[in-house]
This record gives sequence, C-alpha cells and structure tokens, in this order.
Amino acid sequence: MRTRIIDSLFTAMREHEDIFFLTADMGINLVERFAQAYPDRFLNVGIAEQNLIGVAAGLANAGFRPFVYTISNFLVHRAFEQIRIDVALHRYPITLLGTSSGFDNAPLGPTHHILDEWGSLRAIPGIDIYCPASTTYAAGLVPLQLARNNPAYVRIPKGSFDHPALGAGDTIYLPKRDATSLLVAYGATVPACLAVHESKAPASLLVLNRLRPLEDLRLPLSSHRRVLVVEDHFAHAGLYSLLCQYANEQSLPCRLHTAAPDTYNLHTGATERFYHSMYRMDEPSLTAFINA
Amino acid sequence: MLAETIASASRSPAAIRRSILEMLHRARASHLGPCMSVVEALAAIYASVDLEPIRRRARDRSRVIVSKGHCAAAVYATLAHYGLLSFDQLQSYCADGSLLAGHVSHAVDGVEHSTGALGHGLPVACGCAFGLRNLRADHSHVYCLVGDGEMQEGSNWEAIMLAAHHRLSNLTLLVDSNRISSITATANVINLFPLEDRFQAFGWTPYAVDGHSPAAIADTLARIRHRGELAAVVCNTIKGYGVPFAENQPIWHYRSLNDDLFQQALTNLDEAVRS
Repeated sequence: MRTRIIDSLFTAMREHEDIFFLTADMGINLVERFAQAYPDRFLNVGIAEQNLIGVAAGLANAGFRPFVYTISNFLVHRAFEQIRIDVALHRYPITLLGTSSGFDNAPLGPTHHILDEWGSLRAIPGIDIYCPASTTYAAGLVPLQLARNNPAYVRIPKGSFDHPALGAGDTIYLPKRDATSLLVAYGATVPACLAVHESKAPASLLVLNRLRPLEDLRLPLSSHRRVLVVEDHFAHAGLYSLLCQYANEQSLPCRLHTAAPDTYNLHTGATERFYHSMYRMDEPSLTAFINA
Repeated sequence: MLAETIASASRSPAAIRRSILEMLHRARASHLGPCMSVVEALAAIYASVDLEPIRRRARDRSRVIVSKGHCAAAVYATLAHYGLLSFDQLQSYCADGSLLAGHVSHAVDGVEHSTGALGHGLPVACGCAFGLRNLRADHSHVYCLVGDGEMQEGSNWEAIMLAAHHRLSNLTLLVDSNRISSITATANVINLFPLEDRFQAFGWTPYAVDGHSPAAIADTLARIRHRGELAAVVCNTIKGYGVPFAENQPIWHYRSLNDDLFQQALTNLDEAVRS
C-alpha cells in the first residue's frame, strides 16, 4: 500500500508544483528520491513531530499542499494539538500519511501498536479519513485527495493486498444471497473477511476504504440480521462506534457486534496474526461467528 | 470614545494602547498585562512589512505570526491602527457573535494564523519561511512573536533547531520578554535568562533591545534584514507597561478593568504621553 501511495505521490509532484513532501526522519529507501528530484519541495524536519505539523501548516498558509509522512502514532498522538489547531481549524489541505497501523508492528510492543489514532482524529471535525484495503485503491488515492483538497489522514496498512472484487471505490459492498450476517472491514482486516465471504459462510462483506465521511450505508446495514465490525482499532472509538451512531441516526434496525482489541496489550506477538487471533479477528473466529 | 479614537487614529504606541484599553474595558476582558507589553514590538513589525500585499492576501506577502495568542486585543488594535482592520470591528471584541475572540483568530482581517495554545506559532512561521523561500519571494519576510514564558514549550526549540539548520534568514523571531508568565516570574519557574545565550547556542544571532523603544526595535529589524541573519530579538519589556497599577503584577494577566480603573488607566496613559 505504502509503495503505491508514495509512487503516485512522486508522480503527482511533477504535475502539481504545490505539493510539498515532509517527513520526520522516516521512510528509508522510500523518501530519498523526493529529496533528489524535488529538493525545494522535500523537507526532513528531524525527529520533531510537533514541528512537522506546524511547518506543514505554514507551508499550506503559503499556498502549498503538504503531504506529511511518518509512523501513525508519532504523527497523530504526538502532534495532536497541532493537527487540531494548525491543520483542522484552518482547514488547510494537508494530507497526513501514517504507516504501521493496527498490529502491523506487532513484535515491537504496545508503544507501536496503533489502535486509537483515527478514533482520536474522529473527534476533530473536518478531517477526511482513509484506510486503503487494496493496492488498487491505494494507487488512486493521491489523485483523489488532490481533487477533494480537504485535510486528510491516510491510515496505511502494511502489505500489498489486492483482489479483483475490491475496486477503486471508497465503499465496496459485496452482498451474498441468503446472507444473514454482514462483515464490515477496513485495511488489514479485509483479507480475512474477504476469505470468509468467499467461503460457504452466509456472509456479505462491506469494505470501507474511506472511514470519513461515510457514504450511504443504509442498504448493507439494514439487509442483515447481524453486523460484525472487524477492525484493528479500539471499537469504542473506531468503526463500530461510528456505525452505532450512524445506525441510530438513520433509525436502522440492525444489531452491531465487534471483533476488535479493547485495551493495550503487554504480551508480545511475533506477527499481527497473534493479536488477530486473540481478538477473534482471524478467519476461523469470523467463520465461527457467522455460523453461530 | 470610539469617535475620539478614530479622530486620533495614529500609529503611535499610546494610541494603540488607548484602543486596547477601550476593548478590554468594554468586554471586561483579561490579558491586559501581555497586551500592554507587546505594543511596540507589534507596531515595529507592522511598520517594517509591506501592508498592501497582506491586505489583498498575495501569496508572496510577508507573514506576521503572533504566537502569544492571548494578546489578541493588542493584535487587533495594531491591525486597526495600521489599516488592516476596521475600527468598527474592534468594538465587538469578545462580544456575542463576534469574530474577534480573546485569542488571535485567522477569521479576522489581517491575521495569518489562529493561536492560543502556546508553542504553535514558530513552527508555522518556519513553514511560511520555507514556502516563501521556495517561491523566491526575497522581498517578503516572516515575523514571529512569542512570549518569554512561551519559550518553555518544547515545540519552539524543535523549530529553532530546524530554522538554524536551514539558515532560514527570511524568518525573524521577536520575544516579548516581560519576564512574567501566567502566575509568577518566568525566572522562578524555568530560568532561561539570558535568552540571548540560548539562541546563540542554537545557531541564531541574538539581539536584545528596549522593547518599549519603537526606534530601537525598528533599527534592529532593519539591521537584521540588511545582514540577512537568522535572528532572534529579545524585546525587554514590562508587563502591563503604561498602566502603572498593572505593571509587573502577575494578576493583571487575568484581571479585567472596572470603570474606575479604566479611567485611571486612561489618565495615566495621557500623562505618560504628555511627559
């Protein structure tokens, strides 16, 4: 995902002379070509994330469209007030590119598990939130963002998952005849949910590449007896919570369930699969839920 | 009172102070102390930039970023006296429905960036300076104004290090060094004095001036521009300057003017101008 986004950003910088790329000393073997090709529009601010966002806001004030790259926890949590005031309040078209979401950094421990960042940003009005589930969507995300021109956060999952069923839309609904359950997924939880959907289990699938603003979700949410929201983010601040609010506002007669982490975890997992299994986000757990 | 203000509209610090006192009194608002210490520095900044590009928000305009957002009344009054904001709007300071809030707001004509949480302005000013450098706008300059208490915010030092590394000589920092922060003397909390030594150590050229001498500040800003230095100007000021009962009194960060004190402040101001 990351490579597709960075590649398309690099390409876009040739046409769009107002794009400015910033990093807080992250992106080895990724960002160097920006420095070489566009030295006037590349800036490594060092390990200083408050300054990273403040400088981006100043560049936006000067008419540039900054794309800001680093690991999501440093990006969102460390610089939260700068995002709130210097970006969102001013409605600057700044794109925050955050990597290592969810349990992508599993063995690195809970400081590097990113389970609460886009939920934090949900509290701030006016920031679009993306989480690409496929390389197809990731490849088109930068042009989309340039056209929409809003403040935005992109939660970039690791890997390069793609599947013909996942197109380039913000929302992808894959209904299944006689399905009683709907799986709702984004980012890193999509592969397992898609596998269950493609199995014999009676489950439809809803994939959100964009988490805010939501598109019209009334049909998928109201067409199933049970809705299971599967996310590598705390449910109380994540998509589960968002869809509960949405269902209430739309008066939808749906019952929402969650498969997600609920607190910080001090136990190490060698890969994200350890946690996905623990929080019943893996394929066997999802299948068991559907068949229960 | 307003008509008198308009009639006497000038760019003198005394005239600006009078407008500030009227705003603070009308709104029963706080922050008299920091508003009074910062007047000459603000006036010197606006006197040194080209106002017309700011008025029409030209992309290559000079930028003024006031990081100590709580001196909003001083900023708005200065903008009015420099023709960037109407005097009528000053009347609505802190009133219901007004855009003139008690912390600097970019919703107000002439204001670049909203501030109020400290330590935000200098990083943003750095970004503006990088932007102007990219645009080859050598005729324009970025001024950032912070308080000395605000220098305790770590984000400022992130920006100071970055600006030095990139020799951002189109950026000048002014510190309103009134030596009192929110509740007590800054030296009692974290003593950073002399600030000049800190700036020097971080690769900036430091200057120290009488922060209530418009000529001294203006001369220093002109010298910095001429020499192309990345410089910080420590403006040594008195919190509450020009209002004797408020001078150097921490409580006047918060206290508001009643009718008697307002009249007393105006009288003091008139006497100071006459003397």
